[in-house]
Amino acid sequence: MDTDTAIGGPHDRFPSTQPSLLEAAVAGLPSEVLDRVVALYWKPVYRFIRLKFRKDNEDAKDLTQSFFAAALERDFLARFDPARASFRTYLRMAVERFAASQYAAANRQKRGGDVRFEPLGEQAATTESPEQAFEREWQRQLFSLALDDLRAHCDGCGKQIQLLIFEAYDLAGGERPSYAELAMRHGIPETSVTNHLAWARRILRGFVTERLRGTTSGPRELREEMRRLWI
Amino acid sequence: MSDSVLDHLRRVAALPDLAGTRYELESELGRGGMGVVYAARDRELDRRVALKVLDLALAGEAQLIAQLEHPAIVPVYETGTLPDGRAFYAMKLVSGARLDRYVAGRPSLASRLGAIRRVGEALAFAHARGVIHRDLKPQNVMVGEFGEVYVMDWGVDAVAGTPGFRAPDARLDQRSDIYALGRLLAFVLPVPAPPALQAIAARAMSADPAARYPGALALLADIERFQEGLAVEAWSEPWWHRLRRFGSRNAVLLWLLAAYAGVKFLLFFLRIL
Repeated sequence: MDTDTAIGGPHDRFPSTQPSLLEAAVAGLPSEVLDRVVALYWKPVYRFIRLKFRKDNEDAKDLTQSFFAAALERDFLARFDPARASFRTYLRMAVERFAASQYAAANRQKRGGDVRFEPLGEQAATTESPEQAFEREWQRQLFSLALDDLRAHCDGCGKQIQLLIFEAYDLAGGERPSYAELAMRHGIPETSVTNHLAWARRILRGFVTERLRGTTSGPRELREEMRRLWI
Repeated sequence: MSDSVLDHLRRVAALPDLAGTRYELESELGRGGMGVVYAARDRELDRRVALKVLDLALAGEAQLIAQLEHPAIVPVYETGTLPDGRAFYAMKLVSGARLDRYVAGRPSLASRLGAIRRVGEALAFAHARGVIHRDLKPQNVMVGEFGEVYVMDWGVDAVAGTPGFRAPDARLDQRSDIYALGRLLAFVLPVPAPPALQAIAARAMSADPAARYPGALALLADIERFQEGLAVEAWSEPWWHRLRRFGSRNAVLLWLLAAYAGVKFLLFFLRIL
């Protein structure tokens, strides 16, 4: 009998429901909120800075670190107005302003603007704009974090076969194995492969939603972000 | 994580999990701002259905449409909630062409107006029950192979219309739907279009809601007047146009009169000779 087809049940519930940014700010948990924001946005910000300001690896890392440190010190979250833009857009524009001011400061120090640009190198190979790269990296990081959540969830509730099938099929870099191959590999019926995949995808979707919920202002922005995310 | 794996995850994690339901997913039919529509098979009744999956917060849309039983409104078979928390509703799978593609096939003027009349009837029916569409456009109208017409994607509060078809009203109401119906009429008209029909569309699309038709039936009545060769309310036609319309409307009578006059004339000359 395949128990994964059952709807609901203890293993279909998520360990916690993250409060939205605004709920968290009201509850006075800004450091926890910023941890979530940093976990999701560090890489997108780093990539954006590299492409937009043509920084090398180390400079981009320093600037990214400085940005989040400054955001921690200032009332970064308090100034976010969800009526004007999504949090993602607000953050990207804040990065842009921060990096531009750093750039201007560096310019002044060098008396006359003798600022050296890094050769484009690998960056020239991409046709994406810095804004597109930021969004793409955000998606990648969101799914990476949700995958970590899924793995932890599967470990915690003994769903290793589901995880193995999901990883073999949905995370395959090259050619995907057939359902029949996966069924044979794990000694289960082919219908169970279908069910295990559906279960893992549903849980993954739930974790993506949770991560998004924790880094958006509320249900409306969450819905809009979800709409942008799914193909 | 490579781009291809990321895209795959974005796609498969969005697929509705239909475990525990009577439906089996077949393919995606289309997507709009409010949800995605899939073709699915109803295993119990062995028939294909259209399955719309949407955010739970918008589930009221299904109840809304289920109340509207009209030949030009797609019937809802069932509503429910998926294991992942999203809402869905199953409805009749309409085969046919979207109105924009239907018009591209250059149907006759009568067929085009027939489609608009069906849409207008559905709107009037919904308005009488306090429901407004909010997003009427060619992509939301299906024309079946036997000329049947279905208006789809009935609005929910979150819908703000589509540019080009959305009325310039601050708050959407029934008159906003009349604006969109006028826009739809203008869209289906051939080029060049009869001036009376252009005038009907223009009145429906008035910037001032009070200058539009008071309801869908009033607009349809004007289209009917045009089709019967009568003067339409939306257009004060010039005298020569009125004369021409009189001529074409009473062509048989005029031909008979002309024939009678001709015979009389002939007889008069024969008598002189």
